[in-house]
Amino acid sequence: MSAMEPAKEKSGLDAVIEAYKKDVDVTLIRENLRLTVDQRFQRLMKLQKFAEELRRAGRKARSRK
Amino acid sequence: MTDFNALLRLLTEHGVEFIIVGGAAATAHGSARLTYDLDIVYGRSSDNLARIVNALAPIEPYLRGAPPGLPFDWSTETLKRGLNFTLITTLGPLDLLGEIVGGGGYERLCSETIEVEIGGVKCLCVNLERLIKVKRAAGRPKDFEVIAELERILDESS
Repeated sequence: MSAMEPAKEKSGLDAVIEAYKKDVDVTLIRENLRLTVDQRFQRLMKLQKFAEELRRAGRKARSRK
Repeated sequence: MTDFNALLRLLTEHGVEFIIVGGAAATAHGSARLTYDLDIVYGRSSDNLARIVNALAPIEPYLRGAPPGLPFDWSTETLKRGLNFTLITTLGPLDLLGEIVGGGGYERLCSETIEVEIGGVKCLCVNLERLIKVKRAAGRPKDFEVIAELERILDESS
C-alpha cells in the first residue's frame, strides 16, 4: 500500500458525503436546532411510538389479506 | 419503544461513568433520524463495572438477538471478559461499548464531550466534531447519510 492511498480513500469518502449532503433536509435540522436537547429526545420517543403503531397497523392489514 | 429517560436516569442514579454516542448522540445534536437504541461508551474500572451491573440488573439485560434461554451471567466478571455488549433490556435496546473506532475508550473520549440534560438528568454526550470523526472512521456505508446530516448540522451551528 502506498502512502498516497489513505489520502485517496479520504477524498473518495468526502465526495460521497458531499453527494449525500445535497439531499439533507435542512428545514428539519433548523427545526430541531430550535429545540432543547431534552425536547429532541421526547420527540424521538414519540416518533418511535408512531413508527411502532404504523408497523402494527401494517401487520394487521397484511394478515387480513 | 426505548425509554431513554428511564435508561439514563438509572445509569446516572447509580453513578455510572458513561458517554452517549451513536444515534442518540446524533439526536442530541439535532439529527432528525429515527434511532432505536442507546449506545454508550462506559468506563472500564472495576468500580464502574460494578455500578453498571447493579444499575442494569433490575431491567434484565440479555444479549440482543440471542435465542431465549441461553445462559447469560449478568456480572462484573462477564463485563471484564468482554468489551462491547449489544443488549436488550425491559427499557429497550442498550449497547455498552468499551471502545469505539475513532474515539477510543471512556477516558480518552471524556475531553470531547458536552453535558446534556435529558429527562431531568445531566449526562455526558460526545461532541459533534468527534461524533462526525467516529462515524467517518467507522466508514460504514449505512453511516454516509448520517455523516452528511451531521456535517450540515455543524454548518448550521457555526
